[in-house]
Amino acid sequence: MKRRNFFRLLKCSLVLLLLLPLSGCWSSKEIEELGLVAGTALDLEKKTDLSEEIEGQEDRYPNRVMITITNQLITSQTTESGKKTGAPQQKSFKNVSETGDSILPILRKMILKIDKRAFAQHSKVIVIGEDLTRTLNLQQILDFFLREQEMRLSGLILIAKNNAKKTLESQETTVIPAFHLFQITKSQERTTKILPPLSLAKVMGKLHSGSSFLVQTVVSEKSEVKFAGAAVIKGKTKKLLGFLNEKELEGIVWLTGKGKGGVVKSFDKETGQPIIYEIKSMKSKIQPRVVNNNISFDVKIESEGSIAEHWVPSGQPFENEFLKKAEKSTEKEVERLVKNILVKTQQNYQVDIAGFGNRLRIEYPRVWEKVKKDWDHTFSKIPIKYNVNLTVKDYGTSGSN
Amino acid sequence: MKRRKIEIKLSKQQQQTRQIEKQPETAAVPFSGNITIDLDQIRKELGHNSDVGFREFYLGNTGIRAAIIFLYGLTDKELINKYILKSLMVNFSERHEHREVSLKEFITNQALSISDLTEVNNLHDTVSKILTGNTALLVDGIREIIILGTTKEKARNIEEPVSEALVRGPRIGFTETLSDNTAILRQQGCNHNLSIIQIQVGERSKKELVIAFINDIADPALVDEVIKRIKTINIDDLPESGYVEQLIEDNYLSPFPQVQNTERPDRVFSALMEGRIAILLDGSPFALIVPVTFSMLLQSPEDYYERWIPGSLIRLLRFLAAFLSLFAPSMYIAFISFHPGLIPTKLALSIISSREGVPFPALIEALIMEISIEILREAGLRLPKPIGPAMGIVGGLIIGEAAVQAGIISPIMVIVVSLTAISSFAIPQYSAGITLRILRFVAMFCAAMFGLYGIILFFLILCSHLVKLKSFGVPYVSPAVPYRISDWKDFILRMPLFMMKRRPKMLDTKDSIRKG
Amino acid sequence: MKVSHKDRITTPQAVIVLINYILAAGILTLPRTSVEKVKTPDVWLSVIIGGLIAIIAGIIMVKLSQQFPEKTIYQYSQVLVGKWLGGLLSLLIVGYFFTLAAYEVRTLAEVTGFFLLEGTPIWAIIMPFMWVGLYLVLDGINPIARLFEIIFPITVVIFLLVTFMGFEIFEIDNLRPVLGLGLFPVLKGIKTTVLAFLGPEIMLLLTAFMQKPHKATKVILVGIGIPMIFYIITVIMVIGALSIDGVVLRTWPTLDLIRSFEIQGLIFERFESMLLVIWIMQIFSTFTITYYAASLGLSQIFKMKMNPILYGLLFIIYVIALIPKNINDLFKFGDLIGNAALVLFGVLPLLLLVISKIKGGKT
Repeated sequence: MKRRNFFRLLKCSLVLLLLLPLSGCWSSKEIEELGLVAGTALDLEKKTDLSEEIEGQEDRYPNRVMITITNQLITSQTTESGKKTGAPQQKSFKNVSETGDSILPILRKMILKIDKRAFAQHSKVIVIGEDLTRTLNLQQILDFFLREQEMRLSGLILIAKNNAKKTLESQETTVIPAFHLFQITKSQERTTKILPPLSLAKVMGKLHSGSSFLVQTVVSEKSEVKFAGAAVIKGKTKKLLGFLNEKELEGIVWLTGKGKGGVVKSFDKETGQPIIYEIKSMKSKIQPRVVNNNISFDVKIESEGSIAEHWVPSGQPFENEFLKKAEKSTEKEVERLVKNILVKTQQNYQVDIAGFGNRLRIEYPRVWEKVKKDWDHTFSKIPIKYNVNLTVKDYGTSGSN
Repeated sequence: MKRRKIEIKLSKQQQQTRQIEKQPETAAVPFSGNITIDLDQIRKELGHNSDVGFREFYLGNTGIRAAIIFLYGLTDKELINKYILKSLMVNFSERHEHREVSLKEFITNQALSISDLTEVNNLHDTVSKILTGNTALLVDGIREIIILGTTKEKARNIEEPVSEALVRGPRIGFTETLSDNTAILRQQGCNHNLSIIQIQVGERSKKELVIAFINDIADPALVDEVIKRIKTINIDDLPESGYVEQLIEDNYLSPFPQVQNTERPDRVFSALMEGRIAILLDGSPFALIVPVTFSMLLQSPEDYYERWIPGSLIRLLRFLAAFLSLFAPSMYIAFISFHPGLIPTKLALSIISSREGVPFPALIEALIMEISIEILREAGLRLPKPIGPAMGIVGGLIIGEAAVQAGIISPIMVIVVSLTAISSFAIPQYSAGITLRILRFVAMFCAAMFGLYGIILFFLILCSHLVKLKSFGVPYVSPAVPYRISDWKDFILRMPLFMMKRRPKMLDTKDSIRKG
Repeated sequence: MKVSHKDRITTPQAVIVLINYILAAGILTLPRTSVEKVKTPDVWLSVIIGGLIAIIAGIIMVKLSQQFPEKTIYQYSQVLVGKWLGGLLSLLIVGYFFTLAAYEVRTLAEVTGFFLLEGTPIWAIIMPFMWVGLYLVLDGINPIARLFEIIFPITVVIFLLVTFMGFEIFEIDNLRPVLGLGLFPVLKGIKTTVLAFLGPEIMLLLTAFMQKPHKATKVILVGIGIPMIFYIITVIMVIGALSIDGVVLRTWPTLDLIRSFEIQGLIFERFESMLLVIWIMQIFSTFTITYYAASLGLSQIFKMKMNPILYGLLFIIYVIALIPKNINDLFKFGDLIGNAALVLFGVLPLLLLVISKIKGGKT
């Protein structure tokens, strides 16, 4: 009986102990006390007038690269704009910048400037300035973002021509630029000028594998932000090598067959009038061939689509002849795009960004093991044949023009 | 559990000894046959009550003294006047003169045209019979007292059950009269195997209690267990079947009802057909059904009356409602104060704007709203019928709206709270609804402590409790676990009737197949 | 102390206990630990081979247990190899079980503390968790089995839902080529994957509780087969989404898979919370069963009542759980337990089986 009492006592004390945690809700953070970070921009800081501030502790490493981080915080007024109609329109976001030499200390410095706890779990994009990627290794730049659990791995990475901070600015009060950028990537289904979105999750594999890759470029011109081509990151150095313009980007999309839609404009040979081909499906097959240690690639690009618009006066889509003609001219145009990009990557940049290496890895894993170390260099000398085959399926609701 | 059983055993022993002591006092006093003495004896016991009527008279012209004792109000006066007094006083001697039978035999067998007639010969029984509305007839020279059933039943009409309304289904509900209820039950299913066993319960005020089951379906061990538990009831009085429920349930610490109560005879009867046992108590319109499982609390007879597709979907809806009613506010707390990153960005933005200016953390906000809605509900329940709905409107709409306007509560909280309130109304069993309401608050505290982790812990401890709980030997969570696939036909979904050929396996019925 | 009739569990219950025991901490780290060793996308093959090995080991243990109906290893080991040696062996097994329980609890605390409850002290995460476990275990194996039966379908549904939503970012190229570098890398990963299947050892006890012990082999087949499917799906989805090179860098790759996509237009945009929900439940089930196994062992070795042991062991597990200093320590701790398991349950049951056959032949 005594023993039973003892256990009852023990049980009671356990129940009492249960109440103990009531005293603290350690991790609780009320949502309205958070400042949501919508996006982050990273830039190279050229002026070094901040040196006085970081003297003392860091004079042992004098040549540190200075980074400016801009966090886009969503202001509460934004969110309330719908409710209180009479309130004066304020900007729906607030950009806060700080400078330093590594990411987290800079972010912590921002605490001094903002009244709320910055909360990055809703962050959608990270925009990295051109200069920064040229000087610093991308792996190092992104290290914090890949480590921090608060960052969404689904967040996108963009590279800004010129200044990254400017891409997070907007004159309009209701738009949040970071979300705006995020939304643009969704239109990848209707154009070949945007790359498939590159998220943090995808980038870590690419960085670690040491292959070269492309990052969508964004540019801010005259208070307008737009997507413009892509940035080439060299696998070995993990630094920015150069940019591809929109035409070249199209070539890459055709080469990889990753596009989901878009248009190709070609000109009719006889009349010089444009024919617009709208892509319905796109497929490309990169076939590596290895003969006596000589690697070569065959690329077969296939696409189906329709004539969306043509200005050719004599063009009669009801006749197959015209369709054939349209196919031909479009094929020419695509071939031109592809050739253009192959020249650019193999001769100018000497990097493989279209996934040729990956195909080789899959088809000839043992060959790949041998060449993968210096693949970008090897790649630049490999012969590549390509073949474009387009089919016009229909021409909309109108026959002639 | 074990400890309780011991207590029950102990009390049983006490009860027996007490009865032995009691007997010499009243029960053993026999009647003398002399009307004056016997009448005095009864007068001593009952005479001080103003509602007891003593009427002395002579049997016709014979000059034999007789008396009737009855309760005003509880007895049928017309019956007494027409069929007792008239037949004993008018023409009595003429009819009696030439007979060769004894006086007592003549009175019981020829004179009185009353169906319900018994004889008793001790004071204790007489008094208790009188007090239940019978009329006692004393005749000089006859030792036994003749008890005549003249009870006028104070019953209300059979009405539609108030607490369990259905769109489709019988409109009959139980009443407070036991005999009516058993009659309804008999009528419900004309089944000669329907056993109705009567047991008297209550120490000071005796109440009739009935155990009903189908003889050739119900597990005899289960019947024995129910009878055993009812026999252990040791209490002054049982005003409602809720008392019985509390005295026979398995675990008095559990928040879950382990006995189902219902006003609907059709529900009781279908439970009987599954092999369950019903308990009816005189004076209570609520029948008890045992054993009960968790899924039964979310079922309504209508599931079976409607076709199987709507029946199943509505049942699914109720599971969802139960989930929401239990977890919606705690999820709100967890996501708002612990994991704001897990909700969609747009939602987060609108929540932030709606909570801007709310002075309280999510827990306090939720508590304010939840408690006020509980108060509202309680108040609405007690108010006279015409005022109730008005109350609801005032409380729900005006206060809610004003609280939002005043910036004390965020509009989203109002949505969450009204969602939970509505969900808990969607649960057909009132007592199950209460359980969920209690547990909702526990869940809220868990969420306020540990966020989502707290909710998971709460869910785990809830499940741990449920898997341990048994109702009359049947696991409370069956048929969910242990897996009995054949019982799942009537669990979350209600399969077509032709597929439900078997009775629930968990009940160990004698006859497992429903005959078509 | 024979197993009473009340404590019997059905065959499906035994299967589910085994599944819930196997699925635990490993599922979050398996893609990384195995890719580290294999280094090709053929990890899923290693998982299959690992599972098959676990099945063989499981069958050996079942055969051993079937020799002694209604007796657990703690009881029959004393019969087989003598009181002292058997007792020592049993103590080792008990030690294994409660160390494993402590390991699971600590992993839970680390992951929850990192992803869900930043800032909450470890003890505050562990203690309520252990109390809930204690509450469940107090009433023996039957409620445990029933609770597992509730958890299991939830796990399956949410797991499939969440992982298949990851198809959005799945790239088949990441999984190719199959056997590009031959079978050798696959073999290198086997030890890691076998350790992910820690769990069949529970059959040394569970067989005694089964209503139909002759079906124990079937329990092993199904009970390891289903986790094997889980693991294969996990490994394939994670590698398909994050690629070999991405996986090796991540501490909790499976969680990262879920963190890598968001689906707009649903109530949730991110699903890692859902994965964590089922994962915590799985940790809970592994914790309770090992906790129960350890206390059952102690009570059978020393012929004591369960309850005092349960309370005492709770404290010991708590202390052990707090030993690892950081996450690397924790992973090392896990490896240590794994190695112990390989010896205890890979080699010993075979020896015991041989001994029992020899002894059986004599009598």
